[in-house]
Amino acid sequence: MPSAISLRGVHKAYGRNTALDGLDLDVGQGEFFCLLGPSGAGKTTTLKTVAGLEQPESGTVSLDGTDMTGVEPYDRGVAMCFESYALYPHRSAYDNLASPLRSPRYKLPAAEARERVGAVADLLGIGALLERPVGRLSNGQRQRVALGRVLVRPARAFLLDEPLSHLDAKLRQAMRAELKAIGAVRRTTTLYVTHDSVEALALGDRIGVIREGRIVQTGTREEIWHQPYDTFVARSFGRPRINLLPGTITRDGGFVSADRFFEIPRITPAPGPAHSVRPPAPGTRVQIGVRPRDLSLGSSVLGPGGIELVGSVYITEVLGRATEVTVRLGAQHLSLVVPRADAAGLRPDAPVRLSVRPESLLLFEADDTEGPGRPGRRVTG
Amino acid sequence: MSSSLTETDHGAASHGGSGPPARVVPRWRRGLRPYLLIVPALLLTGGILYPFGLGLYYTVFDFAASKPQPDMVGLANYRRIFGESSFWDSAWVTVLYAVGAAAFETVLGVAVALLLHRSTRVGRVLEKILILPLMIAPVIAAIMWKLMLQPSVGVVNYLLKPFGMGGVQWTDTPAGALLSSIAVDVWVYTPFVAILALAGLRSLPASPFEAAAVDGAGWWFTFRKLTLPMLWPYVLVAVIFRFMDSLKVFDIIYALTEGGPGDSTVVLQIRAYLEAIRFQRYSFGISYMIVLWAVVYLVTMVLVRYLGKIQNRAAEVPK
Amino acid sequence: MKRRLLAIAADGALILYFVFALFPIAWMIILSLKPPNELFSTYFSFAPTLDSYRTVLGAGSDEGVPFPRFFVNSLVVSLGAVGLSLVIGLPAAYAAARWRFRGSENLMFTLLSFRFAPELTVIIPLFVLYQKLGLFDTYVGMIWVLQLVTLPLIVWIMRSYFSDLSPELEQAALLDGYTRKQAFFKVALPLVKPGIAAVSLLAFIFAWNNFVFPLILTSSEAQTVTVGALSFLGGDRPKYNLTAAAALVSVIPPLLLALTIQRYLVRGLSFGAVKS
Repeated sequence: MPSAISLRGVHKAYGRNTALDGLDLDVGQGEFFCLLGPSGAGKTTTLKTVAGLEQPESGTVSLDGTDMTGVEPYDRGVAMCFESYALYPHRSAYDNLASPLRSPRYKLPAAEARERVGAVADLLGIGALLERPVGRLSNGQRQRVALGRVLVRPARAFLLDEPLSHLDAKLRQAMRAELKAIGAVRRTTTLYVTHDSVEALALGDRIGVIREGRIVQTGTREEIWHQPYDTFVARSFGRPRINLLPGTITRDGGFVSADRFFEIPRITPAPGPAHSVRPPAPGTRVQIGVRPRDLSLGSSVLGPGGIELVGSVYITEVLGRATEVTVRLGAQHLSLVVPRADAAGLRPDAPVRLSVRPESLLLFEADDTEGPGRPGRRVTG
Repeated sequence: MSSSLTETDHGAASHGGSGPPARVVPRWRRGLRPYLLIVPALLLTGGILYPFGLGLYYTVFDFAASKPQPDMVGLANYRRIFGESSFWDSAWVTVLYAVGAAAFETVLGVAVALLLHRSTRVGRVLEKILILPLMIAPVIAAIMWKLMLQPSVGVVNYLLKPFGMGGVQWTDTPAGALLSSIAVDVWVYTPFVAILALAGLRSLPASPFEAAAVDGAGWWFTFRKLTLPMLWPYVLVAVIFRFMDSLKVFDIIYALTEGGPGDSTVVLQIRAYLEAIRFQRYSFGISYMIVLWAVVYLVTMVLVRYLGKIQNRAAEVPK
Repeated sequence: MKRRLLAIAADGALILYFVFALFPIAWMIILSLKPPNELFSTYFSFAPTLDSYRTVLGAGSDEGVPFPRFFVNSLVVSLGAVGLSLVIGLPAAYAAARWRFRGSENLMFTLLSFRFAPELTVIIPLFVLYQKLGLFDTYVGMIWVLQLVTLPLIVWIMRSYFSDLSPELEQAALLDGYTRKQAFFKVALPLVKPGIAAVSLLAFIFAWNNFVFPLILTSSEAQTVTVGALSFLGGDRPKYNLTAAAALVSVIPPLLLALTIQRYLVRGLSFGAVKS
């Protein structure tokens, strides 16, 4: 079965700015695929290229295995929700929702269209607002109308561009659950763009991370979390961010921090597909990655092979039921998140002992290994 | 979850729903699209550029009603123009007119804009009719003023009689005719400058003025150091428009003085009109226009460049 | 106290300017209401009569000036010029706003340069050309040449309006299943309607007020009010009352437009000037 959406070597530039730099992407049939990246990475351009609103200079876009080069947006059968909503400001919410069902392509008899618009509006909780001009709707209501305009029509794929970004936190959470439910039931292929890693992890069957017009990594949330391709992907997920400690490989295959403050005698980085499977040679500059929630205070989780580090408390910050503790290890700062009770007695500058399971350590090349500004890739032992 | 949504997408199997099959538009046709949209405008522009080119072509001949089979004369028409004192007289009158009109209109227009910007009750009422003279055809305006300036029975001299200056020969002396023409120009176009200046005033940021008020700055200081420099780019746009338009003044002078008395108000477009239409020396008349066109073009270039500089500088004024 | 005096002085100065601005119009009204025998003997007090208007508007009046015909001519050529400019200019403005393509800036600049070109530069060759083509003194000839006035205005201002409109609205329509043509007519065009209205009225007024083109390119059939109003001044005895009435009648359409929609006109004027 061909991929629902497939991009091959897509290149797109606006004047001198390269937006997509040989992008490859595959979204399976019925899959909910989240594309995550910082602003300017090419997320919206990717969506518009799939929709046929932008023409790539080179490369191909296929839908269900058919090459879409030269096919007009209205002939591609995809629906898109714009980040700017792109609602027709001169029409009512109802007319906006009904617009696809009045087009020559997706025309429905008026009664049927009314029924369908009503059903979508009820689903999104905007049934009472249909007669209002969109100019008199709140941002959240507009966003739901924009989403409704996508859901109301048949489509081989939904392209959603940050559809929850302008909502307040509470509404965003509710809508996220709703989207997930809709996706699960409809099984319509969905390409969902976001800069919010929490959203991507919560919604995506698979996640793609995009940077500077290229896909860095695609995978399930587990793969992305546990086997990030490079420090960029690792940094993109998890708050507080993953700790990255620079250092070098020692002669006997261990790790010593850049300031030689601490040493880890043996490192057996997590397995899984990665750029390099050869253990790095002694003297190689590398980074150790460890996620804040994988670190514990004291020796409590220290089983066989556990690693222990000693530092001093730098600062503590209460995050609801947990506390983020920043520990100074020589020149490095390391964050960890621990249950609030565990951090109760900690005072700044007090010595503290940390422990971590060896399998939760990630090993990366030093940043800039592949050239200035390039994040270090993960290596496995 | 509503039932109609959970079932299936209607026609989900065919994805795009019913309708025509996907049509492939080749790249070259896509690239052609904007050109198709501007083809009519291009044709029309060509239709206007053609006579211009034709005119340019005529200038190297001695085409005239008296000479329907013209001979090529090279640049003789231009040589003759620059050699004739009447050209330099016309050029001088044109410059006097343009500078005079633009200067008066700028000062008066900015003053009116500043007064209206105070938004008093009187001002708000008057603002609604500010645009009126600008909507009147300049030639009609000139006719109206011609009736009013008539020396013996015109209303202007009647109104001036109590001030001891009754029988002014408005359009019958060289200086009077030029000043009268400028007056009509000022009457018609001052609202233009005022409207642009008022729009500029209303778009100025409030914070520098509030700061100046807090510092206890006087009215004159605020005006000279804040209002005027920030307003200048807006005013300059108006001044450039007015100056360029005045260089090619025709309607007002044609209706008011017809270039008289004598040749005292024969500006360049009037001269070209007389040569080409009255005396039917087509080639010679057009040559006049080409010269004027070149002058206007050059002056525009210089002024627009200056305007760009001013606007850049204004953008640096801290807001 | 001093402050109040200043405020009164400022209002006074303003009123003074508006007296200067409005008096000529008022005086024309007065002149046009005067009977011929009081034309040169009275100023402000006289027995008003509408005779001048009757003469000016009476078709085939004994003055031999078919003024009503000129009025209709003005209407036809101005409306025709604006209509043609809209049909030709709107697609061009849309293309220039939505696509970056070779030649678009050149076209825009050429159009703008028409604004500053002395009219006579093209009129004299056109005069010769029109004689040959039989376009002299015709509606078609006038509508054609008035494009010089209306087209640059409409293209430049409408391009700004289209540029201000998010292209994503039309893109949304494309994805809703509409063709590009439908997206333009159903989405883009309705949203720039206020702009079209403002610029059309402005263009109409400029076309109406034009004088040079009808002066040289028409003689009687297609002559307009701006030229026609002058004809009462000719002859051995200038008829001031008739001239005033004709002048007033010819400024009525622009003035009415100006008063009803002056807010839009002001915006159009400042827009056109500031944006270019």
